Amino acid sequence: MGVKMVGASVRRMEDPRLLRGEAAFVDDIRLPGVLHMAVLRSPHAHARLLSVDVRAARELPGVVDAFSAADLGAEPPGIPFFYNPASFRPAPQYPLATDTVRYVGEGVAVVVAESRHLAEDALELIEVDYEPLEAVVDAYAAIQPGAPVLHENAPDNVAATMVYESGDVEAAFAGADRVISKRLDMQRYTGIPMETRGVVGHRDAVTAEMTIWASTQWPHTMRTVLAGMLAVPARSIRVITPDIGGGFGIKADFYPEDFLVPFAAGRVGRPVKWIEDRNEHFLTIAHSREQIHEVEIALRDDGTILGLRARHITDCGAYQRPLGLVNASLAATSLAGIYRVPALRVEAVCASTNKAPASAYRGAGAPEATFARERLLDIVARELGMDRAELRRKNLLTPEEMPYDTGLVSLEAAVILDSGSFPAAFEQALDMADYAGFAARQQAAREEGRLIGMGICVYHQLTGTGPFEGGSVRVDPTGEVTINSGAAPQGQGTATMLAQIAADELQVPHDTIKVVFGDTGRLAHGMGTYASRNAVMAGTAVVMASTKVREKALALAAHLVEADPSDMVLEDGYAHVKGVPTTRVSWAEIAAAATPGGNRPEGMEPDLESVQYFENMAAPYSYGIHIAEVEVDPDTGVTTVGRYVVVNDAGTIVNPRNAEGQIAGGVAQGLGGALMEELVYGPDGQPQSTSFLDYLIPGSLDVPDVEIGHLETKSPLNPLGVKGMGEGGAIGGHSAVANAVADAIEHLGCTVTRTPLKPATVWELMRSTGAAPAGAGTTA
Amino acid sequence: MDVDERTTADHVGLREKTITVTVNGDSYQRTVPVRRSLVDFLREDLGLTGSHVGCEQGVCGACTVLLDGEPIRACLMFAVQADGNELTTVEGLASGEELHPIQQAFWDHHGLQCGFCTPGFLLTTYDFLREKHGATEPEIREALSGNLCRCTGYQGIVRSVQAADETWER
Repeated sequence: MGVKMVGASVRRMEDPRLLRGEAAFVDDIRLPGVLHMAVLRSPHAHARLLSVDVRAARELPGVVDAFSAADLGAEPPGIPFFYNPASFRPAPQYPLATDTVRYVGEGVAVVVAESRHLAEDALELIEVDYEPLEAVVDAYAAIQPGAPVLHENAPDNVAATMVYESGDVEAAFAGADRVISKRLDMQRYTGIPMETRGVVGHRDAVTAEMTIWASTQWPHTMRTVLAGMLAVPARSIRVITPDIGGGFGIKADFYPEDFLVPFAAGRVGRPVKWIEDRNEHFLTIAHSREQIHEVEIALRDDGTILGLRARHITDCGAYQRPLGLVNASLAATSLAGIYRVPALRVEAVCASTNKAPASAYRGAGAPEATFARERLLDIVARELGMDRAELRRKNLLTPEEMPYDTGLVSLEAAVILDSGSFPAAFEQALDMADYAGFAARQQAAREEGRLIGMGICVYHQLTGTGPFEGGSVRVDPTGEVTINSGAAPQGQGTATMLAQIAADELQVPHDTIKVVFGDTGRLAHGMGTYASRNAVMAGTAVVMASTKVREKALALAAHLVEADPSDMVLEDGYAHVKGVPTTRVSWAEIAAAATPGGNRPEGMEPDLESVQYFENMAAPYSYGIHIAEVEVDPDTGVTTVGRYVVVNDAGTIVNPRNAEGQIAGGVAQGLGGALMEELVYGPDGQPQSTSFLDYLIPGSLDVPDVEIGHLETKSPLNPLGVKGMGEGGAIGGHSAVANAVADAIEHLGCTVTRTPLKPATVWELMRSTGAAPAGAGTTA
Repeated sequence: MDVDERTTADHVGLREKTITVTVNGDSYQRTVPVRRSLVDFLREDLGLTGSHVGCEQGVCGACTVLLDGEPIRACLMFAVQADGNELTTVEGLASGEELHPIQQAFWDHHGLQCGFCTPGFLLTTYDFLREKHGATEPEIREALSGNLCRCTGYQGIVRSVQAADETWER
C-alpha cells in the first residue's frame, strides 16, 4: 500500500489562484460586446400592477432593450417547484411580475444597455402604475381570518400543511407526568455570501447554443429548469460554474434573473451580464430560518421524554421556488434530534407573506428545529429542577440503537439515523468545556456582578442527499488525470478533497490531478453542492470512477509487460509487477496504450476514462455537540462569546483542515443568527435590513476560536464511511450561543424564547424581570 | 469638475476625463466616465479583477487596495480621484512565481475558503504588518475588523496573520 491521502490535512490546491487575484468569479468573466442588465424592482410590498411602460427607457442612448412581463409571451413560464405534497397550493414566481407585486424587490421590468450605469439610468424612465394593496408581513397574522390574501388559490395564505407523525402521541401525552409547552421563534436571516449572485449568458452564433456562467450551486439543475422555461432542448444550453464566492444554500435556488439573463441574451443576440448589487441581494436573495414553533413535550418526572407535539409556521414569503417547502419539512423531521422520542407529531404550516421568498440556507430547517428543541430542553430542565446535561444524557440514543428508524419521511427521504456514538461525543464535549466546574465559576462571577452563561446544543444534520451525483476520472495519453464532478462548490475545498480520494485509488500525487466542477458540457448529469453532499455523493462517485480506471489501467499495464493483472500494483505514478519494480510502466504509457489504435488486450474498449453516478437515497446523518460560554454585560445587554467547544462526528474525515474550517465558519454564522443577524421588515412590508450597515454579520472581534474534538463513527452507507458536515456549525452555533445567553440571565426571572439576542433585546429581558442586577437598567 | 471636460451629452454620468495612475509599478493612462468607481476602473479598464466588489458601501473591505501606500476602499472613490496616484492591488503582491509571505501564510494556515474576501484581507494584513512586529491576537483581530469574511469564522485568517508576522522579512 502506498501513500494514503484520505485523512491527510493537506493544503488546498484551490488557493494559489485565489491568493494571487487570478480566480475567475462570475463578475470577472469579460466577453467582447457584453451588455449589462438591470432590473426595475417593486417599491411596494403588495400592489396591483396596472401598467408598465418601457418605451422611454428604450429611447435612451446606450439602451439596447427593455422589456416587462408582457414581452415574455402570452403565458410566461413560472419557476418550477421540486416538491408537491398533497396539501400544496403552489404560488410560483414568474421571472417578472405579471399583474401583482407581492414583495419589495420583485422584478417588474428589465433594461439591457451598454453599461450597468446606463441600464440603471434607464430604469428611472420606466413608468409603472401601481395600486397599493394592504400587506401582511407576520406569518402568524397571515394565517388568521381576514388577513390580506396573497394568492387566490390559498385564501388563508397557507401554501401547504404537512403532518409528520410516529408512535402513539395521544397515549404519550395522556400517560405523562409532566407536559411543558412553549412558543419559540427564530428570526428571518440567511446566508449573505461575500460574493453576490451573478449570471452571464451568451448565445453562440455558430452553434446556436447558449452558454451561461452563473454563481450557482447546481448548474445541471439550472440547465434543466432553464430549458423547460425557455422551451428549448437541454442540449442547447451549457451552464458553467466559475469560482463561487460563498453560497451557503442560497445559491441553490432558481431566481428570476437566472431566466432573464439568457432570455435577454437571446433577444439581443449579444452577451448579457447581470451582477447583483448588495442592495438587490438583501431584497431578493432567498431568505430563511423564520419559523414560529409551538412545542409541547411529554415527560416522566425523572426527565424521560415520552413524546413531542408541535406545530410550526414557516414564513415562506411571497412565492415558493424549487426548495420553498424544504425548511418546513426538514424542521419537522429534525425536531426530535438524536434523542429517544417514542412519539412525535409535527404539523408544518407554510405561510405566505409579503416578503422575499424563503428557501434553504445552511441547515435548512435543522437550525430552526434544533433551537426549538434545545431551548425547550433547558426550560424543561429548569422546571424539573434537573441538570440540563443529565436531562440530555438520559434521552440520548445509544450506539446499540443504531441504525435508528424515526418512522418519518421528509420531502427528501426516509429519516433513518445510520450511525453514531452520541453519548461518547456528549461526554467528550462536557469534559472539554469543563461543564462540571462551570456552576461554581458562574456563581463566583455572579457574586462579582458578572453574568456568565454556558449553553449546550446537541444537533444532527441530514447530509449527502440523493438521488445521485456524477463524477468522471480520465487519464490523458500524456498521463495527466482529470476529474469532472457534478458538484459546484463555493469554497469548501472540494477540489482538494476529490483529488485526495482519487490519489488513493490511482497512487498519483493528488496535486497533479485537475478537478473541474459544475460544467454541464463535461458531464451529462449532476446535482450540485448543497445539503453537505460533496464528500458523500461527489466523493463516492469519484471513488467509483477512479476504481474503474485503476482496474483498467492495471489490466493495460499487465498486458504491456505480459503479466497477470492480479500481480500488478500501482505505486508512485507507475504500475509494476508486485516485487519487480523494473517492470514499471508509467501512467502515460498505460494511457497511450488505451487510446484508439493502441496496444490493448483483445476485446478491451479504448480510452482510459470512467463516468460514474453514485445513486443513493439513504442519507447519512452527522451530529455534534456545541458548548458556548458567554458573558452578558448587565449594563448594555452586549454578549461576548468566550470559549467555544465543538465535538463533531462526520464519519471519515477526508481533509481535517477543510473540515475544521467548515466548523469554525459555520459556528460564526450560527453565532451571527443567535446574536445579531435579522432581516427586518416594517409593518408595511418595507425591508429595513438592506445593507451591511443594518444587517450585521460577525466580524473578527465577534467570533471566538473554536476548539474542536473529532469522533469518527463511519457511515455504513458509502465506501469511504463519510458523512457530510458543512452545515453543522451553523446548526449548533445558533442554539449553543442562545442557550448560553439564556443561562447567563434567566436566573433573574426571564425566559429566552426568540432570537436574535441583540443587546437591546437582552437588556429588555433583564429589565423585564424587575430583578436586574446592580447596574442593569441604569440608563433607562 | 472642469466644465470644459464635459462631453456633448447633457448627462453628468457620461462626462469623461483622462487620468494617469500607476498600478503595481506599471503606469496606465485611460479616459474614463467621471462616475466610474476606482474598483470598477481597476477591474474593467485595467482588467485587474483581483479586487472584488462586495458591497459598494465601504463596509465589507473586499475591494481594499493601497493608495500611495495607505489602505482604502476602492468602491468609495471615483477613478478620477486617483489621478496621479500609485496603487497596489492583490496582483502586485507576489514576485513572479513566488507568493508573498502573507499569501504563503494564508495558504499554509487555511486563511481562506471561497477566497472572495481574501484580496482585501491580504492588503489589510500587508498594511498592518508593515508597521507591526510581534502582533498579539487581539491586535490582529482589531486590525482585521474592517474586513468581512463569511466563510472562515476568522480563525484561519488570524493564524495566517500570526504566521506571516513570523515569516515576512521586512
